[in-house]
Amino acid sequence: MIQFQNVHKWFKTLHVLNDVNLHVKQGEVVVVCGPSGSGKSTLIRTINKLEPINEGHLTVDGMDLLSKKTDLNRLRAEVGFVFQQFNLYPHLSVLSNITLAPTKIRKTPKKEAEEQAMQLLERVGLAMKRDAYPTQLSGGQQQRVAIARALAMKPRIMLFDEPTSALDPEMIGEVLQVMQDLAKTGMTMVVVTHEMGFAREVADRVVFMDHGVILEEAQPEEFFLNPQHDRAKQFLKQLLSPMH
Amino acid sequence: MLKYHFDWSIITSGKYFEWLVSGLKITLELSAVGIVGAFVLGLVIAVLKMSNFKPLRWLASVYLEFFRNTPLLIQIFFWYFGSYKILPTAVNEWLNNTNFEFAAAAIALIIYTSAFIAEDIRSGILSIPKEQMEAARSAGFSFLRSMQYIILPQAVRITIPPLVNQFLNLAKNSSLAMTIGVMELTYQARQVESYSFKGFEAFTAATVVYLALSVSITFLMDLYNKKVLNPQRS
Repeated sequence: MIQFQNVHKWFKTLHVLNDVNLHVKQGEVVVVCGPSGSGKSTLIRTINKLEPINEGHLTVDGMDLLSKKTDLNRLRAEVGFVFQQFNLYPHLSVLSNITLAPTKIRKTPKKEAEEQAMQLLERVGLAMKRDAYPTQLSGGQQQRVAIARALAMKPRIMLFDEPTSALDPEMIGEVLQVMQDLAKTGMTMVVVTHEMGFAREVADRVVFMDHGVILEEAQPEEFFLNPQHDRAKQFLKQLLSPMH
Repeated sequence: MLKYHFDWSIITSGKYFEWLVSGLKITLELSAVGIVGAFVLGLVIAVLKMSNFKPLRWLASVYLEFFRNTPLLIQIFFWYFGSYKILPTAVNEWLNNTNFEFAAAAIALIIYTSAFIAEDIRSGILSIPKEQMEAARSAGFSFLRSMQYIILPQAVRITIPPLVNQFLNLAKNSSLAMTIGVMELTYQARQVESYSFKGFEAFTAATVVYLALSVSITFLMDLYNKKVLNPQRS
């Protein structure tokens, strides 16, 4: 579904992705973790070409991201993206946030799009907020709407870039729950997160990055119980007891 | 002190009143055409200036600097006295068949004001977090569609106060059209003064009407902002 082959990316002289090889199969949930500045956000942003790569090959859902023939807008319509800061459209109601892309890009009739949006809102537990505006919602609610907005395009892949990092602790659970439910439906997901509980329970694989390099790639239990690389050991130790 | 008999009746009824009303009608038309045209053109120029394609950005910059930095009166004279020498014959014929004075004044007002509006809208666009564009592009919208559905609607909301200023300027600047013979309000007030020697009354009437026009524009924009653009805030 997603295939990185020897991918490199530089920001000026900074080597942010260094020879990345990764294959995400259909229906797989992959969690990417690593210290800040490790390149994990850049990695996930290359998948829908919010960041272009400089070298190597990257194919997503059969489309070659380096080919000029690839219709980027079509690719992006198939790939849902959930941001750390939610990025809902503040001038539109919750319902319009969700129906905008389906009606304008997929040309779904308005009534049908609204019915689908209501089903999605029920799924994320926010049907009563259909007419609210983003600023009237809590962070956790905004993020759930953002997930519903991405799902409204019926994507084949969902990308999550630190979806709970901007949330108050008591709101993290509600968002992770929605993501876990989504994983159960067989959605292909790539999730950048520090939520190790989520990684342990939901991920099929955990990828650990540092300095633009994938250092480890393992099943969750294996990664948590027996990390191979020193940097991974250190990272996990810090996550579990940040005071030391 | 010169003894002067105020005679307000001449401007509240009769021939002179009709002149002023006909002038007001043309001022309203010129302002309406100007505001709509300048806003649309301003939007286009603002988007061009934000384009990824360098020549388009340069084109927009040249346009902005040129039309912002030359006097409106010169631009009106240019379109009225000079443009027919460079415009294609078909355009000239069309212009001659319409009301040429009105058209020249409208074109000058639209182009001149659009340069200011474009800069206001552009600063509005720049104040929208770049993540909004990322969210729109991630959903599969093209650059222009992202602008249309997500960025511009937000930018225009922020731009309302400076836009009102530009609209007010345009309505008042429309008085310069009298210099090329457009029979708008100032032209008619001048006429009334010439025929009646009642300059005080004539120009007081014109002043009051311009004031009412400006206040109406401010009121309507305020209403639009509250009822249509920001219904969640009221």
